[in-house]
Amino acid sequence: MLLSFILLALFFVITAALARAYHMREEGLVEEWSEKGKSDLATGEPAKAFEDFRNALSYGPENRFVELRLAEALLADGRYAEARSYLLALWESAPGSGEVSLDLAHDSLRLGNVNEAIHYLGDAILGSWEREPALNRRNVRVELCELLLSHGRTADAQAEIAGLAADTPPGNAPQREETGRFFLRAGEPDRALVEFEAALHVDPRESKWLAEAGQAAFQAGDYSRAETYLSRAVREDPSLGAQQSLELVRDVLANDPFYLGLSEEEVARRIARDLDQGLARLRACQASGTPSSLSLPALQGLAKDAQDFQKRVSRRALERSPQEQNDAIQLTFKIVDATSKGCGPGTGLDQALELIEKQSQGRAP
Amino acid sequence: MSDRDAPFEVTPVRPAPGAPAESTVAERKWLGSWARSFTVSERNVFLLLAVVIGLFSGMAVVCFRILIEWVRLALLGSALAPAPLRVLLVPTAGGLVVAFLVQKYFRAARGSGVNQTKGAVYVFDGYVPFRTVIGKFVTCSIAIGSGHSLGPEDPSLQMGAGIASAFGRRFNLSRDKLRLLAPVGAAAGLAAAFNAPISAVLFVIEEVIGTWSASALGAIVLAAVSSSVVLRSFLGSEPMFRVPAYVLGHPAELLAYAVLGVVGGMVSLVFTRIISYFRPKLRDLPDWTRYFQPGIAGFLIGLIGLKMPQTFGTGYPYIDQALHNQYAWGMLAVLGFAKILTTSLSFVTGTPGGMFAPTLFIGAMIGGAIGGLEHQFFPQVGASVAPFALVGMGTFFAGFLRVPITSVFMVVETTGSYSIVLPVMIANTIAYVISRKYQEVALFDLLAKQDNLELPSMEEQREQIVLRVEDAMRKLKSQPLQASDTLGHALGVAENSGEEVLLVRFPTGRWAGLTKADFTDLSARYPRELLLREVLPTARLPVLHPDQRLDDALRFIPGHTLLPVVSRAGSRKLEGVLSLPDILAAYQKAT
Repeated sequence: MLLSFILLALFFVITAALARAYHMREEGLVEEWSEKGKSDLATGEPAKAFEDFRNALSYGPENRFVELRLAEALLADGRYAEARSYLLALWESAPGSGEVSLDLAHDSLRLGNVNEAIHYLGDAILGSWEREPALNRRNVRVELCELLLSHGRTADAQAEIAGLAADTPPGNAPQREETGRFFLRAGEPDRALVEFEAALHVDPRESKWLAEAGQAAFQAGDYSRAETYLSRAVREDPSLGAQQSLELVRDVLANDPFYLGLSEEEVARRIARDLDQGLARLRACQASGTPSSLSLPALQGLAKDAQDFQKRVSRRALERSPQEQNDAIQLTFKIVDATSKGCGPGTGLDQALELIEKQSQGRAP
Repeated sequence: MSDRDAPFEVTPVRPAPGAPAESTVAERKWLGSWARSFTVSERNVFLLLAVVIGLFSGMAVVCFRILIEWVRLALLGSALAPAPLRVLLVPTAGGLVVAFLVQKYFRAARGSGVNQTKGAVYVFDGYVPFRTVIGKFVTCSIAIGSGHSLGPEDPSLQMGAGIASAFGRRFNLSRDKLRLLAPVGAAAGLAAAFNAPISAVLFVIEEVIGTWSASALGAIVLAAVSSSVVLRSFLGSEPMFRVPAYVLGHPAELLAYAVLGVVGGMVSLVFTRIISYFRPKLRDLPDWTRYFQPGIAGFLIGLIGLKMPQTFGTGYPYIDQALHNQYAWGMLAVLGFAKILTTSLSFVTGTPGGMFAPTLFIGAMIGGAIGGLEHQFFPQVGASVAPFALVGMGTFFAGFLRVPITSVFMVVETTGSYSIVLPVMIANTIAYVISRKYQEVALFDLLAKQDNLELPSMEEQREQIVLRVEDAMRKLKSQPLQASDTLGHALGVAENSGEEVLLVRFPTGRWAGLTKADFTDLSARYPRELLLREVLPTARLPVLHPDQRLDDALRFIPGHTLLPVVSRAGSRKLEGVLSLPDILAAYQKAT
């Protein structure tokens, strides 16, 4: 029996040495094939990369890193069902992995399952990340916002963008700008403006951010701020394409009779000018022959009303009577509304009138 | 101080001159009992040996698996799809080398190893030459490592048996224990090879020893567990295959698995027929051809491997791929049939290596193909390819190797997935029934017959009609006597009875049996008024129960003309009687 135990010990030592050498060789092969796979994936050869990772995996079947790369190679090669099988197995073994959840989301998306993709992106945000967790989570949230917006799920997107804004460090101007753009796309220009202004705190002369802040202010109906930002943007970089928006904003500011601080005379002058402009557009619209047979009588009726009003009310009477001012404004807005319906949206001053009308009605520009 | 308060003292008694001191006597007694408690009986040695055998077998299998891998890496390279030149040359050269070694040095290393282990148990009193262990180790490593389509499990089983046999001989165990030791080693080898101790124990019981023998079971379990522990500590405790989670979506899915069972059973029949047809044909060729047969097989395998390198060796990495939906159903089917071809080539040419791994491969591929096909035409069948591949492994194992219970546990243990057990049970049973119906003799029994070995067929033993006491017993012609009857009354009954033996029932449920001559003799010795319980104070007959095996009843019959068959609800209730002529008549009727 003693001899047996001596033999057992000896055999144990030999086996342990063999097993150790074998494991080292296996680890070496996993490393070798993984590196090759990564290089093939980087050079745009996913099929070869897949074979490499598969070779690597045959020596390290429990290597999650290789398995993940293999699934990514499959995704890159368009073999979504196979990728999914690997990813699901990985997800089961590590349900909290952000990286796996993200790959599963990509796979779901490629298989056309948007709801599932949204679900996995949510998991990826909450999941664990081995490297740069904050940055990875933000990137996933950005992807989720993008997906939600592109599929018209604005309410869900707004909640995610709010999360994105909360996670954005105050001094990170590019991220603030990115968040601002999401807010803008989600129909929240006020919050977008806050983000752009935060970015401008870091660099007040960044023309792109100035233009975006101007755009956000414009969409929020704050034309004064829009004019400020847009004019600065044009000054900083005339080639930016903000000139047209600036002109429009200036038209609005120059023709808005509700602008605070105007004299009675100026208000009357603007009202009269707006009515003239509206009537001119109405005539042009009638002459173009564009309006449908249904809207033509209405346009004719409005033209007659406008002419009657102009004949009946003088500039001086308009200055003195708030009632006449109100009637003139209402008539102008009716004309603007009818012409934009009958002949399409206007340009230049016409567009400015439309914006003034929308703002006075409490509608978004 | 009173006597009461005085301290207790022990007065030493002086021993008589020449007599040993009392303390010495006590010490000797104590030493004797201590030594007796450490006396190791053969049974205890057997159990201890089982653990040691398990440890040795586990380490041997670890080394075996590592050697196979190293041979493969050295000869075929580390890529799963080797270079074409290697694909052609390596299996050919490997086959030639293996054939030379087998023909020259290790003739007993041919084949899988299962029947050789059974042969050791039933023919050679548990003797497996250690040379065979070495031969199996070396030749199988070269064969499998060079790409021959065989597996390491059955050879591991034989190596385990060989190690056990060597230990048994070293410790001079009795012939009976030596016979039991070979299956113990076999279980240890198989448990380590599959990292599946339960399946190994079941396989050895189902296929090698055939019965749940209490004397062997403990040792088999100990050996299997210890070898698995060794394997897991050296090579990791992960199951062989990683599978996605399976959930039975709808009960109708089981129908799809039933179809898999039918196909699996039929394909296993084809595989069995190919092997059983070609193996004797090649064995009948002149002896010198055996030097070349594995080489030619290797070349043909290489040709197939040029297109399908997946068919090389054990194929485990590819089973993993099938389980992860990496093949279309058409490819899976092609791989399954190609593997049947390559495995047949390797096996019928006598290349040493096992059938378990190829069986799992073929099953996984055929299963996956059926799953893919069903999914394509009946998308409402929720399951993907992976669970079908998984179930296919067990199905083919059950149909081809004809071990239905082992096949179920094999799938569960090698995948670590218990949720799949329901489809596995259904498909395996169907495959087994089909295989049993159309292939009367199981593969291992067939191979044994081809080798002129009359080994007991475990399947036949399992399905043999068991005769029970109720099949042979008959009613007693007269009522049994009571212990409260007088001797005179008993004598009267005896004279008028048609039975040769009269039974006497005691209130405690004890029974006695007396012939007419016994009663006459008793009446000559005692007054007739005495009660039977007074004249038969200790007489006692063994009793039988209706559900006992007739074979067991035979052990009680000698020395008795008639035995009472009593109810298990109470031994006072007589169900019938049984005599030796009754037993013989029942056996005669059954045959």
